[in-house]
Parts: sequence; structure tokens; C-alpha cells
Amino acid sequence: MPHSTNGADSRRARNIAFVILGALIVVATYLYLVIGRPTEIADTSTSHASLIAIGGYVVGAVFLAVGSIHRLPTTTVALIPVAIALNIVVGQIVSVIGLPVYLDSIGTVLVAALAGPAAGVVTGILTNVIWGLTLSPIALPFAVVQVVIGIFAGTAARWGMFRRFYTAPLAGLVTGVVAAMVSAPIAAFVFGGATGGGTGAIVGAFQAMGQSLLGATTLQGLLSDPVDKAITFTVVALLLIALPARFLQRFPFAREHRVFGRTGPKATQTALAREG
Amino acid sequence: MIRLDGVSYAYPDTVRPVLENVSLDIGRGTIAGILGASGAGKTTLAKIIAGFIPHVDGGELSGTVSVEGQGMGDLQLAEAVSRVGLVIQNPFNQISGARYTVREEIAFGLENFGVARPEMQDRVGEVADLLNLGPLLDRSPYELSGGQQQLVAIASMIVLRTPVLVMDEPTSQLDPAGTRMVFDVLSTLRGAGITVVIFEHKLELLHQHADVLYVLADRSIVAAGDPTDILADAHLAEWHIGSTRYTRVARAAQKRGLLAGLRHLPVSLEQAVAVFADDGGAR
Amino acid sequence: MSSTVYVDRGSSIHRLNPVTKLVAMLCIIVIVFALPVWWVSGLVLAVAIIPAAVVSRCGRKLSRISATILLPILVVLFVVQGLTFPGGKTALISWGVFTVTSEGLHFALGIGLRLVCLVLASVLLVLTTHPGDLMSALTARGMSPKFGYIISSTLQLIPAFRDRANAILLAQQARGLSVRGSPLRRIKIMMPLLGPLILGMFTDVEDRSTAMEARGFGSTARRTSLVPVPDSSVQRVSRWAMPMVSLAVIVVPFATGAL
Repeated sequence: MPHSTNGADSRRARNIAFVILGALIVVATYLYLVIGRPTEIADTSTSHASLIAIGGYVVGAVFLAVGSIHRLPTTTVALIPVAIALNIVVGQIVSVIGLPVYLDSIGTVLVAALAGPAAGVVTGILTNVIWGLTLSPIALPFAVVQVVIGIFAGTAARWGMFRRFYTAPLAGLVTGVVAAMVSAPIAAFVFGGATGGGTGAIVGAFQAMGQSLLGATTLQGLLSDPVDKAITFTVVALLLIALPARFLQRFPFAREHRVFGRTGPKATQTALAREG
Repeated sequence: MIRLDGVSYAYPDTVRPVLENVSLDIGRGTIAGILGASGAGKTTLAKIIAGFIPHVDGGELSGTVSVEGQGMGDLQLAEAVSRVGLVIQNPFNQISGARYTVREEIAFGLENFGVARPEMQDRVGEVADLLNLGPLLDRSPYELSGGQQQLVAIASMIVLRTPVLVMDEPTSQLDPAGTRMVFDVLSTLRGAGITVVIFEHKLELLHQHADVLYVLADRSIVAAGDPTDILADAHLAEWHIGSTRYTRVARAAQKRGLLAGLRHLPVSLEQAVAVFADDGGAR
Repeated sequence: MSSTVYVDRGSSIHRLNPVTKLVAMLCIIVIVFALPVWWVSGLVLAVAIIPAAVVSRCGRKLSRISATILLPILVVLFVVQGLTFPGGKTALISWGVFTVTSEGLHFALGIGLRLVCLVLASVLLVLTTHPGDLMSALTARGMSPKFGYIISSTLQLIPAFRDRANAILLAQQARGLSVRGSPLRRIKIMMPLLGPLILGMFTDVEDRSTAMEARGFGSTARRTSLVPVPDSSVQRVSRWAMPMVSLAVIVVPFATGAL
């Protein structure tokens, strides 16, 4: 290697620091917005909630991505553009056809299942960056939601939840609940609940029933996100079966954690030993 | 220069090897053609010579692979690729996507290796001239035809000036004129001391340009030697290689009783003219 | 042939260093979100965004794109918050069970103008900056080249991807399959469409990663760039000055107790 082991070590430490810092910022932002303001100030537009929501989430997501990208091998880097294109094209087709789900994170979940949470994080944030560059910048504040999906999907893969048909949607449901909770403050404080026609009407209905703005956006998210992610995770489990074995073999994460149940443990171990 | 000794390889989690006991010895500044039916393991052999196997693909590789006396297994991939260039079969997949014009696409590798800008500009201009890409330099690589993309893919590797160039069917999408141009460029590179290993099935062009031919069949090298001898080999059909149109004409003629007793069938226009002239003269 | 909205009008805004434009956009967004009163957003719009749009000669396209994005959001925002804002007390209009409150409209105005600034500033950046130039400029500043690769490559893959999807969709329709009907039926038609599309794109990944490695993508050398990024000393100074000014604009009102 041209660079010294020392340099590699310090770079590694820096990346880990970025990941930890990013995660802390995201968690702190959420806690500040949700728990730190138990009584929602009526006139939110004069509070700093919106700056904290957009700033904390974006900075946190950027730190997580910066800390994650260095450890990705070239095969994973080459995979991510396809996954992002999949997110965006399928997400658009689904919204044009008018299905009552988003399905805009199939690529993120697939990458996380094949290459781990770090790869899922990078796919997630860059999906929203590209969505912002091509279609609409209102996707940008929501980047952190895709990051959360990437982390959860990668962890679910590590635990082998894509191996069976009933565990994949279960992992999706849990991810959907967390995604809904994380995105609610953005929808509330940045967009005033108005992220789209249908969702806006639902937020209005919850507000009319006496919910606070944040409560209303949280409930609205809980109506759609868990179902959407359960479908997404199931689609990914199906894709993992359909993709050729040789393609799946290219991803050490998937081999190491036996993300898909097909290769026997023995074969996997010898493959790993060779790589070692 | 390029030496393979008893190389066998099986992909990860497979039992049956793709290649068994392959040995090659290719000298500096030569064009070596490797013939093989589809599925014979050509792409695998190309990746072994270029160091991608076992660095990237994993799997079970035995035997030794060395380039300029340096074992490829001992090198990091980044060092291996600076010695051996690889042009892959599908030109669309070779477009990096990282750049928006043909000019930048050709320079992509130079940027990655940190070549200074003035030298980069010179080198890009030079290969663009060599492969007639001048008019395309400001276009998007995605707007080009398959043949044009293939020329860009070749240019993107030649520009790196690796001492060895491994090419996996580099003219599959090119018209005859484009194919001839590529082979002429390869001859020029050979003149500059560059070693070219080309996996190809355009036999007549290989006969004209290659210095040595190898036949890959049944997971191993089954024949090696002078192109004229290899292309006249009676076993080519068994190896599913086919033969040149001159050989086919001579064979058809023999079936009709012509060219009786001819042992070495012609593999080029000159040889064909000569044998038919002899045969006519004999009558 | 990438899927971005960039238009080359050759204006002085187009010729700025992409990082300068990025910093300006971020400063605008931070100011309007940090000072949440509606007239701050209005002022930013009047003195920064609109003049820049005029100079860039992209005004028409900017307003068309932004209107498509913003109109549905703004309509929903004003209707929903005007009617159901939890802090709404002062009734302006009452119509049966519906009551529009002035607090609700005021809240919607504050959020709405901020969103207008956010969308206009970022769309203007995208309209006047080629994504490749933005990536080169950021990579030259130490961003991992992997980010630049992923973003540029995706932007060029999406049209190819969409073409394939359309081809398959057309083929399905030619076989007499309608894309109308109940959601369940539409999903049934979607699945055979998605399958081959997705698998084909993924199996190309192996090849593409080999080709990238062969061209030194994994190299640890310091990257160089064929095309230089335009820059000037004025811009270098302004990239520091803009955040400073923004900070002052945000801090001063609090320090003086104006807000």
C-alpha cells in the first residue's frame, strides 16, 4: 500500500468519528424536536424548530454518509447508481400509476441487504440528493429518512431477516414505524404538514380532531410508512431470490451474514477463508 | 513477459474449474491472439492475466501468473491495473458514467492515477487522433452508437499506456473499417513495445496481425503457435472455432475432387491463390 | 443526455464557481429558516433570488419548474392550516363547520414563503450549474470521488433505465394489457415489468465495477481533473464573506433583542 498503516488507521478513526457524530446529531435533533418541546408553541413559525429540523437532520445525514462512503469497495460503489435509479424510476412510476404507496426505497433496502448498513446509508442520502437535483428540492430535507431505512435494512439483513418470507415484512414494518417518526418533525416544522395533496388532507383531519401539528404528521406517517416498507422489504426478499447466485457472491457482507439462505454455511466459510 | 504456469481456477462456491492447467508465455511487443468458443473461459482468462482474479472475484486460483517477472498475485489491484490494461467485452458497461463528454471519459483513468492536466490533454488528443474520435470528443458517451462506444472504451485503456493490453472481443460491435482501424492501431502499439493479448474470432485479421495464436478449449490451451499453422489445423472444427473463408473454400474444393493431396489448407488470400494456381497448373 | 434540468445560457451566474453558488444557496436557506418572519423571506426573495434569476436568464424555466413543485404544497398548506391550525383563535371567515383563522393563515404564510425561497434557490442552482462541474469542484475540495461518481453515474443511468421501462411498458400494452383498473390489477401488471428491468440493470454492475477498477478508480493517488474549475479571488473572498454576513444577520437581531 502506498500509504502507511498509520494513515489508514487515522482515516478509519476519522470515519468512525463522523458516523458516531452524525448519528448523535440525528438522534439529538429528533429528541429536541419531539421531547424537548412538550408543549408545542402555537406559532411555530417564529420558533427555531424548523431550522433545527432541517439543519440537524441534513448535517447529521451528511456526516453519516461521509463516514460511511470510504469503506465501500468498488463493486458496491458501482451498484449504488443502479439502486438509486431504481428508487427514483419505480417511485415515479408508482406515483404516476397512482398506487397508494411510495415504493421509493427498494434500491436502498436492496443495497443495504447486499452490502450492509454503510452502503444503505450512502444510497439513501444520495437518492434524495439526486431527487433534489432532478425532480424537486423538497426531497432534500427528508434525506435522513432514507438514511434510517438504510441502517435498519442493513441491520435486518445482518440478522438474517431477508431469509424468510414472514420476517422480511416484519422488519419492514418496524423500519416503517421508525421512518414515520423521524420524518414527522420535518413534515411538521419545515412543510407545515403540506408535503402533498392526500397527506396534507390527512394531516388536516388529525389536526381537526385535536392533534398537534407534530402529532398529526406522525399519525399520518404511521398510516402509510409501515405498510409501504413491509411491501418494499418483501419485494427485496423476492429480488434476492431472482438475482443470479454469482452476482450475490460479489458482496462479502451478504456472504458473511448469510443474508439469503441459499449458500450453505460451509461453502460460505471456505469462500471467506480464501478471501481472508 | 507474460507467463502463466499451470494455472487452474474455479469461481467461488463452485466445484468444477473453469480453467485447468493453462500455461502461456507471451514475449514483449507481440500481439497474441487467443481463440475459443463462447463459454471456453475467455473472459475468465482475460481477468486472470489482468489481475482481477483472484483480487476481485475471489475463488480458487492455483499456478503462477507473472507480468514482466512480477507475480500478479503479490500486487495490489491498483498496481496490477497500472501494468495491465483490460478492455471488457460490453462497451456500454465500460462507460464510467462519471463523466459527461467523450473527452472526459477518455481522461477518467488518467484523472484517477493523478496525471497532470497538460499531459492529460496531450494524451487524450493523441489517442483521439489514433482512433478517429476527434469529432466525437464533446458528445456524451451515452449518445454514441455501440461501435463508437467500443472505440471510446479502447481509447480509454490505450491512453493509460500500460505495458500490457488485454482485450476481450474488442471489435464485436465495429464495422469492417472500424475493425481494421483497431488492428492497425494495435500493430502501431506493438511497434512501441506494448504487448497485446486479444481474445477475438475474426480469424483473417488475426492471421494478418497476430504474432502467435493460442486455442482455448476444454478448459485448457490445446494448441499454440504460428498463426498460419494454427489456422490450418484440422482440429479447429472440433474446438468450435470455425475457419477462414479461404480454408472453407479449399475444403469445399477438396470435396469436389480438386486440390487432391493438399495437406496444408490455405488461410489467406495469397495462399489460396497460390494453391489454386498450383492445382490449375497441375491439370 | 443526463436527466438534469441544467440549461446552458452562458450567463455570469452560469460561469461562477459551482461551490460559490452552493455556498450562496446554503446561506439563503439558513437565513430564511433562522429568521422565521415572513418579511425576511420576502426580502431575500426580492434582493437575492429574483435578481440572480434575472441575471441568469433562466427566469422563465425557473418559475415554471418551481410553480409545478410549489403550487400543490402551497394550496394544501393554506387550506389545511387556515382551517385546522391548532393555535387558531381569531376567526376570519366562518362557513358551516369550517372556520378560517388568521393565526392559521399567518403560520401558512411564514412556512410558505420559506419554502418558496428554498425551492427557488435550489432550482436556480441546478438550472445554472452542470452537475459534472459541481462534482468536479467538490471533489477538488476533498469530497470523496465516490460521491461524484455515484451522482454523475445515476444522472446518466436514469434516462437509460426509463427507456428500458418504457420499452417494456409499451410491449405490455402491445400485448393488450391495459395499465388501468384497480390498484391490485395494476400491481399485477407492474411485476412482470419490473422483474426483467431490474435484473438486467443489476447484472451489469459486475462488468461496470471491473471496468472502473481497470481505470484506476481504486487508486489512492491524488485525483487530477481534465477540465479546470473556474474561480476568481472575488469569489474566494465571497465564499468566506457570505457565511459571515449570514451569521451576523442571524445573530444581530437576537443580540439587540429585536426578535
